[in-house]
Amino acid sequence: MNVLLIEDSPGDVRLTQEAFRAADVSIQLHVVTDGVEAMAFLHQEADHADAPRPDFILLDLNLPKMDGREVLARIKADAALKTIPTVILTTSEAEDDIVSSYQLQANCYLSKPVQLPDFMDLVRSVNNFWLTMAKLPTHHRDQ
Amino acid sequence: MTRAAQVKLAEETQMRAAEARGQELSEALSRMEDRYRGLLEAAPDGMVVVNQGGEIILVNAQAERQFGYHRDELIGRQVKAIIPEGFAERLVADGLRSAVDALAQQIGTGIELVALRKDGTEFPIEMMLSPLDSADGVLVTAAIRDISTRRRAEEHLVQMESRYRGLLEAAPDGMVVVNQGGEIILVNAQAERQFGYHRDELIGRQVKAIIPEGFAERLVADGLRSTLEAVTQQIGTGIELVGLRKDDSEFPIEIMLSPLDSPEGVLVTAAVRDISTRKTAEADLLTHLADLKRSNEELDQFASIASHDLQEPLRMVASYTQLLASRYQGKLDADADEFIAFAVDGANRMQRLIQDLLAYSRVGTKGRVLAAISSEATLQQAVNNLDKVIEESGATVTNDPLPAVLADDTQLVQLFQNLVGNAVKYRSSEPPRIHISATRDGPRWMFAVKDNGIGIEAEYFEKIFGMFQRLHGRDEFAGTGIGLAICKKIVERHGGEITVDSQPGHGSTFRFPLTATDAHPAATRGVMP
Repeated sequence: MNVLLIEDSPGDVRLTQEAFRAADVSIQLHVVTDGVEAMAFLHQEADHADAPRPDFILLDLNLPKMDGREVLARIKADAALKTIPTVILTTSEAEDDIVSSYQLQANCYLSKPVQLPDFMDLVRSVNNFWLTMAKLPTHHRDQ
Repeated sequence: MTRAAQVKLAEETQMRAAEARGQELSEALSRMEDRYRGLLEAAPDGMVVVNQGGEIILVNAQAERQFGYHRDELIGRQVKAIIPEGFAERLVADGLRSAVDALAQQIGTGIELVALRKDGTEFPIEMMLSPLDSADGVLVTAAIRDISTRRRAEEHLVQMESRYRGLLEAAPDGMVVVNQGGEIILVNAQAERQFGYHRDELIGRQVKAIIPEGFAERLVADGLRSTLEAVTQQIGTGIELVGLRKDDSEFPIEIMLSPLDSPEGVLVTAAVRDISTRKTAEADLLTHLADLKRSNEELDQFASIASHDLQEPLRMVASYTQLLASRYQGKLDADADEFIAFAVDGANRMQRLIQDLLAYSRVGTKGRVLAAISSEATLQQAVNNLDKVIEESGATVTNDPLPAVLADDTQLVQLFQNLVGNAVKYRSSEPPRIHISATRDGPRWMFAVKDNGIGIEAEYFEKIFGMFQRLHGRDEFAGTGIGLAICKKIVERHGGEITVDSQPGHGSTFRFPLTATDAHPAATRGVMP
């Protein structure tokens, strides 16, 4: 399973890595730290020519260069990318952000729990549901 | 015939002729007099004819009545007997003018004099003189009118006017009386001061000169209403307009109109009040209110942004100290374990503090419109949220049937949650028993959250609702000291006040009011300031 984490905070990147490691060792977690790089990864451009097509995307809303809302809009407007479950993982609990994310076809909206054990639980739940229980479409790059 | 006889005959003939002429003359005179008397008696006024010597030679019935004499008593008497002064003197010709000239000057002008009745009483008269040429010289006919009634009316009017003027001048407001043409006909001293004019400059001028707009227009009757109605509609309602001083400066005024019926038609009295001070005060108040509102909003926004932005780095500190603790507890030395424990505790406390601050600021910034909700369902939700602590503490939460109220759903959940949560937290050695009830109090329901906890000393009843106010050490009871401040803010936002009644060792009862849904909203608003 290839998971793309789009997150600019190194602390959160590391926490998420730790949480996935604790949940399931078979996950391949790829990390990009801004929206432009995220689009390059998804389109296998520049340094990401060999990037795999992710099975699942975790997206932060507040990102440098191109913010998460724009990234989400582009993924969902792209016929080749829009079937990838894209889940928002952010600190924002603002109603506006929640509504606009779902309007942009986010598959789920999660806010980062403040307490570490809760965060660990959340990542475990994501792994259990989206990466274990849910049936995801199988894709091939050349389709 | 003798010469003498001839002369005598001639004389006799002459005499007879003379007698016959005299007879004819006297008959003519008598006819004249009858006609004249008829005119005299028909006159509405008393008529007195006087000769140059001031002697009364003719009176009519009206004059008899006026003076209380029979005409026989008057004929031949001096006119001074009934009009002591001002009449006889006017009959006298002096060196410069003939009697006719003297009289001619008086013709057509009413002369006001005092008349004397037979019984010695006086009464005011108005007299008109006219000369009448006769064989005995110029006679004077005086038409005499009793003006007692008119005089009394005039005196009354003068008295009324001075009283009215007194009232006018005593009025605290500027008073401007205007006629139908919009012309100023009366002002008082206050109005002079307000507008900077002397009253002579204002009388006769158009009211538009001092109140350019909104006044003159109100005087105009239209097809649907009379002026009286038009003005009546304005009565009692202060109309705010702009006044214009002589120096062209403007000032805000409030005018109250009242109609005044007068012989010249409906006059309008305007009480003019200078409301500059009030206007300035109002404007100041509005500015201060806007400032206060902005400053409150800024504060709420600051609290919200600050706590949100503080939360991010803090989450890192807390998460990594927790990660450190979970991964290295017992693997380093005892000191390291203790240090990590302090770091974890500090980070956790700070997180709670920030969350509570955020919750506090959200009461103001995220408040929703009050709607009719079931307070019982809301309590149930709060109790569900507290499931874990209630179970751990072995608490029993009971309630009477609770009413529908006007409230912000989310905030009421938080209010119940904080109060029930506190009741569980500040429990005594006994298992906590918490009971929620509501009693009707006019348009509101008074809610009571009663517990059997440790209670509170009376001196802290006020203090506990303040920000960061804590009565216990951290090792006794954890907490940020914001919970009850949030409760207070929520209740205040619902238009009420939260109070506590307690005795140490005997539990506490927190009370707060909420508006009943069946209290008519308009009626409820009506009684509130």
